[in-house]
Amino acid sequence: MLRVRDLELGYGQELIIAGVNLEVAAGQFVSLVGPSGSGKTSILRAVNGLLIPRSGSVELSDGDAALGFLFQDDALLPWRTARENVALGLRIRKFSKDAALTEADGWLARLGLEGFGGRFPHQLSGGQRKRVAIAQILALKPKLLLMDEPFASLDAIVRMRITQELLNWVEREHLSVLLVTHDLEEALTVSDTVYLLSQGPRARVLASYDVAIPRPRDIFATRKHPNFTPLLERLWNDLSETMNSSEVEAQK
Amino acid sequence: MTADIKKTGVRRFFSLFMLVIVWEVLSRAGIINPFYVPAPTEVLRVIFSLFSEGTIFSHLEATFFASLVGLAIGLVLGIFLGFAAALISWVADVLEPIMLLLNAIPRVILAPLFVIWLGIEIPSKIALAVVLVAVLIFFAVYNGIKDVNPLLVDRVRTLGGGRMVLLREVYVPSVTAWVLGSLKIAVGFAFTGACVGEFVAATRGLGYLLQFAQSTYNAALTIGLIFLIMTFVLMLFFCAEAIERRLLRWRYRGPSEKPA
Repeated sequence: MLRVRDLELGYGQELIIAGVNLEVAAGQFVSLVGPSGSGKTSILRAVNGLLIPRSGSVELSDGDAALGFLFQDDALLPWRTARENVALGLRIRKFSKDAALTEADGWLARLGLEGFGGRFPHQLSGGQRKRVAIAQILALKPKLLLMDEPFASLDAIVRMRITQELLNWVEREHLSVLLVTHDLEEALTVSDTVYLLSQGPRARVLASYDVAIPRPRDIFATRKHPNFTPLLERLWNDLSETMNSSEVEAQK
Repeated sequence: MTADIKKTGVRRFFSLFMLVIVWEVLSRAGIINPFYVPAPTEVLRVIFSLFSEGTIFSHLEATFFASLVGLAIGLVLGIFLGFAAALISWVADVLEPIMLLLNAIPRVILAPLFVIWLGIEIPSKIALAVVLVAVLIFFAVYNGIKDVNPLLVDRVRTLGGGRMVLLREVYVPSVTAWVLGSLKIAVGFAFTGACVGEFVAATRGLGYLLQFAQSTYNAALTIGLIFLIMTFVLMLFFCAEAIERRLLRWRYRGPSEKPA
């Protein structure tokens, strides 16, 4: 589905990412964790074509059209209603206006927003806006979802509900996902594989962890699975080690 | 909430009403010299006679024509130049210093120059209104494009949108919001341009009439005209606000439109 090979990314003189390799297979949920400034978001932007790599390659087996990008910010057009925002991607893909709006209404209903289609983003709560953003992406029927801490701005209860709903959707539709997150527990709860990045600049993949917990998953039950805590401890220790070693480097 | 707004409105109206009453009493009692500050009833009488005798209409026509044509040309010119400067770097290099200079000076000082170039008839008044409005709108458009939220640009690009989609869905609505936000000020500027131009040299218009009233020491006519100009500018201001509220309804939150 996605193969990233020897990816190097930089801004100006500085090299942010130095030779990252990772893979997302069809139907696989992969997370990318690491310290702040390790360049996790930059990798997603490179996969989506928003950032040009210095070197290396990004191979997508189904092409760009199969990608859906869910931002940390919901990034809805404030001058468009919820249904017009959902319809936007469909209109870009040459749906007629009526067909796009009808399809958008269907997606809003599926995400529990029936009757909210005529509202502008500022008239919706944070959770509702996030659902509109998810509907906007899912309406395009992507095969690979790229998510950049998509629920970080939500309160804990809404965040858990939306995470579970999205997880159900991903499992049912066999979507592939590449998720960037700071939250180690979240990464292990939803993922099949977690990649740990080192402290940037010149970040690289330190290790990958296979999460051997069966699907479909419930986000609460998964955290009680016997494999969960040992894996979380391993990941936490490895992350702490890279952060400590980078602090020692900085003090030299 | 509505009761509070009503109360505030009543208080405001009452304070204005009291001001006019005190002014009337002081003027009639001779405490303030009616030659300099005539009573409100005298000012009203002068305004009424301007309309009843029909002398005001050709002046109104001249001022409204100059300000509305100036506003229209100023808007078109400002939008065009703003877009050109924001999208083409060499145009920005050429225009920005001129616009910054024009923005820094009180642009009404150009009025005598326009009279020399274009004569004392309406074109010189239109020109002044155009310069006042165009500079304002230029910066509204220029900043509007420069300040477009990059997240929205990324969002549209990741949905597969190209340059035309970006222009239609992100840049134009964003700039429209800036321009409409400046429209109320632009209306006032256009009227100022027309009136100041007429004040400097003209054969008709509210500014010309004001200049005539001042040169004949006619305080009642002067105050009456100031009142009329204020009324017309406020009328246009509220029209501009209504247009803004209509077109920018995505920005305004009505009482029944709170987040669910």
